[in-house]
Amino acid sequence: MRALPGSRWIVAIASPASLLIGLTTALFGTCGPFTDVALDVFCPFVLEVFYTGITTGTTPTTYDPASPVSRLQMAAFLSRTVDGVVRRGSRRTPLNKFWTQKNVLNPIQTGGGSYLADTDGTDIWVASRDANWIQRLRASDGRGLETWTGATAANGIVVVDGTVWATGFLSPGRLYGLPSFSDPGGVTTVATNLGAFPFAIAYNGARFFTANSGPPGSVSIIQFVPSLPYPVTTVTTGFIQPAGILYDGSNMWVTDGTLKKLDLNAAILQTVTVGDSPFLPAFDGTNIWVPNIGSNSVSVVRASTGTVLATLSGNGLNLPAAAIFDGERILVTNPGAGTVSLWKAASLAEIGTVLFSFQGVGPYAGCSDGISFWVTMGANGFLAQF
Amino acid sequence: MRAISRGRWLLAISVAGGLLAGEASNLIGTCGPFTDVAGDVFCPFVLEIFYMGITTGTTATTYDPTGNVTRLQMAAFLSRTVDRTLQRGGRRAALNRFWTSKTAEFRTDLPGVPVAQPAMAQSDGTDVWVTDTTGGRVYRVRGSDGKLLDTLTGATGAYGILAVHGVVYVGGHTAPGSLYSIDAAAGGPVNLIGPAVLGDNPLQLAYDGLDIWSANQSGSVSYFTGRAGATTVTTGFTSLFGILFDGSNMWVTDASSPGKLSKLDSNGAILQSVTVGTQPRYPIFDGSNIWVPNYTDSTVSVVRASTGAILATLSGNGLNGPAGVAFDGQRILVTNYVGDSFSLWKAGDLTTLGSFDATPLAQPNGVCSDGLDFWIPFYGGAALGRF
Repeated sequence: MRALPGSRWIVAIASPASLLIGLTTALFGTCGPFTDVALDVFCPFVLEVFYTGITTGTTPTTYDPASPVSRLQMAAFLSRTVDGVVRRGSRRTPLNKFWTQKNVLNPIQTGGGSYLADTDGTDIWVASRDANWIQRLRASDGRGLETWTGATAANGIVVVDGTVWATGFLSPGRLYGLPSFSDPGGVTTVATNLGAFPFAIAYNGARFFTANSGPPGSVSIIQFVPSLPYPVTTVTTGFIQPAGILYDGSNMWVTDGTLKKLDLNAAILQTVTVGDSPFLPAFDGTNIWVPNIGSNSVSVVRASTGTVLATLSGNGLNLPAAAIFDGERILVTNPGAGTVSLWKAASLAEIGTVLFSFQGVGPYAGCSDGISFWVTMGANGFLAQF
Repeated sequence: MRAISRGRWLLAISVAGGLLAGEASNLIGTCGPFTDVAGDVFCPFVLEIFYMGITTGTTATTYDPTGNVTRLQMAAFLSRTVDRTLQRGGRRAALNRFWTSKTAEFRTDLPGVPVAQPAMAQSDGTDVWVTDTTGGRVYRVRGSDGKLLDTLTGATGAYGILAVHGVVYVGGHTAPGSLYSIDAAAGGPVNLIGPAVLGDNPLQLAYDGLDIWSANQSGSVSYFTGRAGATTVTTGFTSLFGILFDGSNMWVTDASSPGKLSKLDSNGAILQSVTVGTQPRYPIFDGSNIWVPNYTDSTVSVVRASTGAILATLSGNGLNGPAGVAFDGQRILVTNYVGDSFSLWKAGDLTTLGSFDATPLAQPNGVCSDGLDFWIPFYGGAALGRF
């Protein structure tokens, strides 16, 4: 045992002699419960898919190891594999958070209207176009940490590698920035010539793209350069009134009456017909979830092809505004009813609808840090952890 | 710099050339190293499972793409898929933490008069919260470096602990049972929700998205909501220690004879009872199975939550009076309250990863994980361990 310099932590030496193997007992049959599987090199694989719930065997005591697998059976195996891996790999699992919230608990008063939010993995960042600030809150408990002012009409927000960027929802639009390690104070305005009323912002690893609702509707591309202001290119061709924007790892997508896939220069590569008035979408790694305010539906679009896989309705959808993904679940806000609707993202199975109203105000948009959903509640400034 | 002989130099060139040639021949194969796979739309899938170690091919240069897969072979593919994906996707992988510690760190400066008895720990995702039963204290420790951030007093008999959306709930192991809350954002103080909210002598707490539940040692389960008040149910219970929520139901461990793991409905009525070992304590759910430490038997029962079937009863691996269990996404850690040690398993296939001596610190109890580390309170050691 030795003391660590400068601390009161001490280190105990483990007893490697106790590294024992093969002491699992009450495993019945030759390989666990399976009497028809030999205790050879394949046995641990069979046991793992049994213990993790991927297979149940053909009977409680047989696995039928030599039989081929049909495509139908394989679908079941792969589906259970995905579910098991996603659940075990979630940040929620080590924290024992297997619940889905049944109501809204203790919304946080941010002090100004809160609309769009993003996370750096540890903290939550909220833009307030009413109060003209950007606020940082600690994700573990929601404590308000710091506020940066001077972000006039701050609306869309994105966190990029230790920096925070927000659009100024003005005409012409603005882009504000701040290093997240800086002392609270004023933001830096890095561009003042974005398209009219940039509502949302996304980043592709090199440039920012903003969805500008206009008029005229447009998409602006903002480049990092060593000096201010940052150069801006605004594209209006083909756009009507963009609202939401996301990056799928290859392309930007904007909601603009339809769902539009863009190239690096904001030219439209593909247009996907979704529901009426699509708003703030989310990408789950495979599919884009598009809430359609005007048709009380959610379109699920395969990003790689643009195919509409499903159009979801019911499950409490009522003026659905924003979709958020936490690694397993999709949450859609319903400002019209003061509720949120939840789906299992992998299978599109409904989880249910939860009342989400506080002081007469419903949910608006938000983000997830992989543990919780953080849902903004609009003009009253509340932010709820869910 | 060491001189190299011409002969060796030529040999080195020759070997390098051979490697390059081999590399080149691999690269010019039809699909990576596999000469029997076409370089078509399926090739990237084959390469991904090859590079991830999910398949090795039928030989070094063949994959046998049209061959059928037996159920046995598929078990190997799926098992490796689970392992590789969890390993790559875990928080530990991004931080290069591929080790299993051979040592553990313990902090011994948890303040307390009388001497602190850390009972249970719970992470809120960033910080770790620990109860001190004798001192009625709650400690907040920073998860990244173990710094003691806050010591909050006034939680008499503090034992079970739960972090829910910025609020930390603490059960007082008293009769009747008390429930306390802490506004984590404000950093305290400890608020008494009610002196008799819970049944007598509550131990572990759990949450189902609506109510705070407690397993009460005196033989009841309680659930509390601010809207409907508190309810305590005694029917069918003898002496409860542990409680968890599996996404659908609450499960409690009952130190009855024989020991039981019972599945409850939303009103606390028993839906199913599974006979486990003697004196089951504080269990954990790994997403598929419930791991139940059986204190007197020095065993761990692994129970399939969806059916209640006992998949295995583990013994050995240093088990000695097991009390608490935690899951970090890949591994299960069991604290040995009697043996002053802890035991590890790989959760996916239940293989042992060894046991670790913690003496002179004593009585490791209600462990938790934050996804990176295990945090172990030593009830008899006034210490918090990180492993």
